Amino acid sequence: MLIFQRYSWWVATMIGFALFLALAGQVGVLNPFQGLFLRTTSPIESVLNGVFRPVASLLSDAGEVGDVRDENSRLRLENEDLRNQVAELQQNSEDIKGLRDALALTQGDTSVKYVAADVVHRDASPFTDVVTINRGSSDGIEVGMVVVSTKGTLMGKVTKVTSANAFVRLITDTQSKVSAEIVLTGADGSVKGTPNRGLTFDLAQGEIQVGDEIVTAGLGGGFPRGLPIGRVSEVSGTSQDLYKKVTVEPGVRVGTAENVLVRTDFIPETLGLD
Amino acid sequence: MKGFLAILATVFACVWQVTVAPLFPVGGLTFDFVLLMLVVIAAFGTPRRAMVCVPVAALAYGFLADRAPGLVLLAYLPMLPLGVYLEQSGVPLNHFAQTALAMVATGAWVRLLLVLGAVLGGADGSAGVVLLDFILPGIFLDFALLCVVYVPLRLLGWSGQGMSLQRGGYYSSL
Repeated sequence: MLIFQRYSWWVATMIGFALFLALAGQVGVLNPFQGLFLRTTSPIESVLNGVFRPVASLLSDAGEVGDVRDENSRLRLENEDLRNQVAELQQNSEDIKGLRDALALTQGDTSVKYVAADVVHRDASPFTDVVTINRGSSDGIEVGMVVVSTKGTLMGKVTKVTSANAFVRLITDTQSKVSAEIVLTGADGSVKGTPNRGLTFDLAQGEIQVGDEIVTAGLGGGFPRGLPIGRVSEVSGTSQDLYKKVTVEPGVRVGTAENVLVRTDFIPETLGLD
Repeated sequence: MKGFLAILATVFACVWQVTVAPLFPVGGLTFDFVLLMLVVIAAFGTPRRAMVCVPVAALAYGFLADRAPGLVLLAYLPMLPLGVYLEQSGVPLNHFAQTALAMVATGAWVRLLLVLGAVLGGADGSAGVVLLDFILPGIFLDFALLCVVYVPLRLLGWSGQGMSLQRGGYYSSL
């Protein structure tokens, strides 16, 4: 056909170029160009973020007044519960301290180091939830480092680093999988991202109910143990089902966070066979 | 000069896509401003400009979103041949209908290919979810976005051009 006669050379060239890009991407030839491009476009991103983030925030708030009101009343009740728990935990902490002193135990090194970063942009196309932060290898960021919210809730993991930026795959991305457990019962499984950028918990074993808190289990070495992820918001399925469908409400609004912390002291363990 | 402006506009559309578009999701989906820009360049500029802007968009969007640029290039590739096919197929469609069809079909292909890329990367996704939650709503979004942009451009006096590649110098029309 005529169109393909006229366009065939271009289509063929583009397919060849796509293959070249795929190979170049595999061997990392494109990384310096990507870093340079990200640095060049960052001023434009800053301006666009500065202008449109407040507008989006305003629209989001205006559209969620009813939800915010419900959430507020729920949080008031939860706050009261938490205050009581804090009081109880403080008492327990004092008891533990006393017992440690009595046993002359010394605590291990618990120093945790963070690097604060701003989210500069986000790729939220179907099945994908990746953000870019304005810290890179020059700030000590490495692939595999864990990213948490400013309150310490797990947000994702660094997947690629350039000198000035890093890409973070959020836990709501469909390719994310985090080994996790229920705080109270210890029931374990894995938290996965869903296509609509939510979270689901595939329970390996144990009982679960709405409201259960989920934290990282630390299995596999990819994430440190005990990082908060979220809470169970829905459990569906019958007792006949082999696996129940468990929906998790993230502890932080993963997609709209503007600032994050990268935990630089934790490097994921890799299993070597040699 | 116009060719250079088209390239700049394409890069800006890519930055807009990763910076502003995610702030205003519609039903969990985002508008594809990169595709819109390519379609506008092809439909209101010249196809040769679009031929340059497609790989530029693939590189810029791939770099910004950390996606494989090769995959992005294959995703946006059918837009021009499809537009030309619609022009020359003899189907009685006006310029808007041809442009809209080229856009929504390419948009569906883009979403399908990017989802396939994610699934091959380890994501879980059933065909039903992909079709009902992403492809079909995506078609509606692309069409709505084109309507919002097309009418003002025509009112501004921009005349729709054909996407068929004419014989002649390449550089002279860039």
